[in-house]
Amino acid sequence: MKKYLALTTALSVGLGPFAAIAQECTNDTWNHVMESGTLTVGVKADYKPWGFRNTDGDIIGMEPDMAQLVADTMGVDLELVAVVSSNRMQFLEQGQIDLMIATMTDRPDRREIVGIIGPNYYTSGTNILAPEALEFDEWEDLRGQPVCAVQGAFYNQIVEERYGVEIVAFGGTAEGRQALRDRRCVAWVYDDSSIGSTLATGEWEGFEMPLPSEDDSPWGLAVPLAEQNCIFGNFMSGMQYNWHQDGTLLELEEKWGIQPTPYLQSMNERMADHLAE
Amino acid sequence: MANRAIPGVAAHATTDLPVMLPFNPKAGAHDELLVSRWLASVPPRYVFFLLLLWPVAAFAQGVDYTTADAFVALWRWIPFLTFQGFVFNILISVCAMTIGTLAGAVLGLAHVSRLRIIRQVAWFVTQLFRNSPWLVLLFIVLLAFPFQIEVFGTTIPIPGWVKAVIGLSLPIMANISEIVRGAVQSVPSAQWEAAESLAFTRTQTLWQIILPQCFKRMIPPWMNWYAILTMATPLCSLLGVGENINFTRQAMEAEGNRPELLVPFFGYSLVLFFAYCYPIARATMALEKRFALKL
Repeated sequence: MKKYLALTTALSVGLGPFAAIAQECTNDTWNHVMESGTLTVGVKADYKPWGFRNTDGDIIGMEPDMAQLVADTMGVDLELVAVVSSNRMQFLEQGQIDLMIATMTDRPDRREIVGIIGPNYYTSGTNILAPEALEFDEWEDLRGQPVCAVQGAFYNQIVEERYGVEIVAFGGTAEGRQALRDRRCVAWVYDDSSIGSTLATGEWEGFEMPLPSEDDSPWGLAVPLAEQNCIFGNFMSGMQYNWHQDGTLLELEEKWGIQPTPYLQSMNERMADHLAE
Repeated sequence: MANRAIPGVAAHATTDLPVMLPFNPKAGAHDELLVSRWLASVPPRYVFFLLLLWPVAAFAQGVDYTTADAFVALWRWIPFLTFQGFVFNILISVCAMTIGTLAGAVLGLAHVSRLRIIRQVAWFVTQLFRNSPWLVLLFIVLLAFPFQIEVFGTTIPIPGWVKAVIGLSLPIMANISEIVRGAVQSVPSAQWEAAESLAFTRTQTLWQIILPQCFKRMIPPWMNWYAILTMATPLCSLLGVGENINFTRQAMEAEGNRPELLVPFFGYSLVLFFAYCYPIARATMALEKRFALKL
């Protein structure tokens, strides 16, 4: 036991300097992408229209389009990897993906794990889909009621703690919505932009999005934490800045039929070139 | 006094005397082939009923978006779900079974080693992997293993499904080792003694006398575990490995996540898995009957 302790101490003392060096830019990921000629991007494949599959099995959507723009700018090939909420940060940490654009909400706890790069490319709030007949007006009306949700969403815990609702979590969106139809819960809690698109399809007659959206939070794309303040992080900042300025994000939003958000409009105006006409 | 019934006459026969109950071969005993026995006991004609029931159940559920639309949607996705999805389930199960069988055979023989320490290690490994939830093992392997390894300067990528193979082969290894150990120990000890008296070495006895007798006995439980493993491969979908169930969810998302899609799409997965595992279960029971010990 003493031997082990001594060994561990020796190791930690010996490795100490390396930890300090790791803070400086080695640009491992950036260099690796440039050398191998392939940028591997983690995107969602179960979040229409942000990232979903066509019948050939290819992943398409707004975020794959953004990934393609990044790869084109870097002059490398693009490889898309389907990630889910529960593994996207681990994949990036492990190096399985170089960049993650996967509908991730920018949260403080997540910034400790991955390098989330600003300016944020999108924003969404939390809202519910509920039958009109129940006449919900405010979040407090939900107290003590069963509410369906999807596993891994950060707002599940928030609404549970703040309003005392009983979250009934499902693995997929279809299952959760079916549960709402089967009246196993009084509402379906989800992103407001997604609920908006759902209602716009006209297949949810008798349902509404009655509450004021809460926790409007920006979405962030992420690079490995070590690259945050290095070439890759600064490059991604620049990409997003340009997307906001030249209206690329607004175009993509329209292309994929996403409900227009005031956020993208205001960012576009704020970053407008003062010399342009 | 008047209320007191007489056991065996006015009431159910009971006694507190130590009486040996008659042996009931169907009750209580552990049945290692439970899954296969149950699956194989489904008569083939029911399978056709089930196939008929599937669209009917789906039709009963539809509201606006008709179920016919849902089946048209399914039709578009069938090539993708089958050839990029279910093929991976089979691939994962075959590879995991191969690795699990080889490792399990070694581990099973370690159980009957003459060295105490080897027996103890084998016992510990078996118990560890036999009693851990499969999902936990999968999570550990998927998240703890590197996504690529470097061997002599060349980088070998390890895709998610390969890690799933490793994760699933661990519990298979432990269970196969129990099958091997049980089969070896089921051979009467007189065989060992007879072999020893004929000057066979221990290795010779094992390979030339004991194992050939065990082999037939091991096939039915082995196939049983294969069917269980195949049915467990959708667990990988929780970890984002591209396989049938994961792709089914993604396909439903692409079709707008209409609840009407649930029964047709998951029903299709059911049909695929059933079509694959049912013949295996039937064959397992047929072989079990054929190889049953004749007393």
